Amino acid sequence: MTIIELKDVRKVYPLGKVSVQAVRGVSFAIEKGDFISIAGPSGSGKSTILNLIGCIDTPTSGIVEIEGVSTAGHTDRELTQLRHDTIGFIFQSFNLIPVLDVYENIEFPLLMGDGRMAKSQRREWVDSLIVEVGLEQWRRHKPNELSGGQRQRVAIARALVARPKIVLADEPTANLDSKTGEQIISLMKKINRELETTFIFSTHDANIVGIADHVIRLVDGEVVENTRVAAPAGAR
Amino acid sequence: MPVLIRIAFRNLREHMSKSIIIGSLIALGVIIIVLGNSLIDTAERGVHSMFIDNYTGDVFISGVSKTPGVSVSLFGVTSPGDNETTPLIPEYDAIASHLREDPRVGAVAGQLTGMGLVTLEGNDNRTMSFLFGVDPSIYPDLFRDTFLVEGRYLKTGEEGIVVSRGWLKNAEKALKTPVKVGDKLIVNGFGRGGFKIREVSIVGVVDFNAETEGMDMIAWSNADTVRILSGVDVSAEDVVLSREQTALLDAKSEEDIFGASESTMDAASARSAAPSSPSPVQGAAPAASKAGGSWHFLLVRLKDSRQAEAFTAETNAWLTGKGIAARAGGWKAAAGPFAQSIEVVRIVFYVAVLILAIVAVIIIMNTLVISVIERTGEIGTMRALGAQKPFVWLMFLVETLTITVVFGVIGIALAMAAVGVINLIRIPAANFFTQILFGGKVLRLAVSPMSFVSTLLMVAGVGLVSHLYPVIVALKVPPVRAMQSE
Repeated sequence: MTIIELKDVRKVYPLGKVSVQAVRGVSFAIEKGDFISIAGPSGSGKSTILNLIGCIDTPTSGIVEIEGVSTAGHTDRELTQLRHDTIGFIFQSFNLIPVLDVYENIEFPLLMGDGRMAKSQRREWVDSLIVEVGLEQWRRHKPNELSGGQRQRVAIARALVARPKIVLADEPTANLDSKTGEQIISLMKKINRELETTFIFSTHDANIVGIADHVIRLVDGEVVENTRVAAPAGAR
Repeated sequence: MPVLIRIAFRNLREHMSKSIIIGSLIALGVIIIVLGNSLIDTAERGVHSMFIDNYTGDVFISGVSKTPGVSVSLFGVTSPGDNETTPLIPEYDAIASHLREDPRVGAVAGQLTGMGLVTLEGNDNRTMSFLFGVDPSIYPDLFRDTFLVEGRYLKTGEEGIVVSRGWLKNAEKALKTPVKVGDKLIVNGFGRGGFKIREVSIVGVVDFNAETEGMDMIAWSNADTVRILSGVDVSAEDVVLSREQTALLDAKSEEDIFGASESTMDAASARSAAPSSPSPVQGAAPAASKAGGSWHFLLVRLKDSRQAEAFTAETNAWLTGKGIAARAGGWKAAAGPFAQSIEVVRIVFYVAVLILAIVAVIIIMNTLVISVIERTGEIGTMRALGAQKPFVWLMFLVETLTITVVFGVIGIALAMAAVGVINLIRIPAANFFTQILFGGKVLRLAVSPMSFVSTLLMVAGVGLVSHLYPVIVALKVPPVRAMQSE
């Protein structure tokens, strides 16, 4: 079942007096439960593609469909609600809110959006995610008291807390050592299998690309490879 | 605690140095505003006791200046060049009886104002004085803050002068000789009738509850003496002067006066003379009352001073309705140039506060904008995670209001401490102007609760205005900034 589809998507950024074409007519589909790597060198358009899928940026032309619905014409409020309900984000620099502790950072998305969870239910769910990412001992610690790997685990838990169908991870291992990076990817893969959450991550690390079930390779804003290695989680 | 308040509070703590910079500025502004307001309140109270309780009353009624837009005060017409004589109040009796019928009125009295050069016989020195011509049977009822320290008040129909203790001291200094009750003063007046001389005895010395030297420039006399010195008719029905006496009153040069064997005259001799022809001075004031003589002003003391504004408006409406060319005004109109100096101080203070507020807004705004720029990644992340724009706006609003209110309260506490210290030091007023400002000879500040409330509201207003631009900047931060933060 297709959860995301890009149809002839282009993105042009003005850069002074010239325009830079970051994405040049990209089209592909992503299945529900996919564990997909968007690979390519720096400047190939990986992050731009993730931004467009995550509805935090809009295409210059073309269509981005999430669960069969085009994101074009949505208001800022509607896009924000769509992000909250459907998409979880894992950032390269972790992007934890510095003044909130581990528990509060993970809880944050639950406090946004229209649908609110009861406090006891929320606590139980956040705590279970803290256990899932192995941070029980760090529950009340602030981000600056955590290592890079621990911060990224918090970010993963936060990305999953609103039970999104899609998790976008922009170079999630770029700021981690290789061992920690592998652990993070393994954790993401485990969650992908258990919860059937679609994971889309950008990377230029060949080892990590090898773990993906589906690889889309970009060069200069164009898709040069679209290879499925394994069936999506839930379809096996 | 809601997450946005938690984030706002913790951000303030996290960025402590910035919070303290903004907060210190706010606290300083609050101190200046509270102390300034306190000074104005003090001046206001001082002015009340100095002017309303001592010589203006609550409402003052005068004739209208011939020059449009020029005001008339108890000190005359403030026209450019000061060459217009003070207009007489028309239909005095009708206005006075209308005022006395009003149950809000405590007392009503007429007054004339003149100026005179005062000396003692055989003394070459002179001192300038304002002369208030009053009816001694009514006038003291209006100003009960004045009390006798020597001699007695004027009696009805008596010629004489009552001076203040300060006036006496000033006169002694200027005349270089002791001046006491019973001394006969020579007063040279210059009014529309020309140059006049009167001899009047000091019958009493008064003092005031208000500590001020402003009153030391004024002496109180019987009305007829001031009328003669100012060239106003003495009493339309009662006084009919001989040709010689009229010529003497109308004297325009020293030769006219001193050329004759009789150098001075008094009102009694003026009254005793009874030639049939009317005085030319009478003709100069045709609109003046015949029953009570001519008056420049009517002073009204209300039972409740707070009704002065409404009473003034109603009186003006009545005067207009009756077609009487007179105008009612409050103490500020009566005090004229003295009140204007207070108004100037007030305007200067408010302009200073406005400039301070603008500077505060700019500094707070600038600091908040820097804070927003530093936090674009955080804002972008919140937006990416599902925070709507109102969440971001409220977060900055809570931060700004918290900082302004907390430091506003600190500023008020410091201002209270400063008021206490200033009152302990007992700063003396250096001159008459600062006496008006201080409301007495020593600065004694008092702070009203309303001053706190208005200052806090103003500070909150500054906070609200300051946060607008940074919030606009924050709301423009796109969620994609989350991806770009390092």
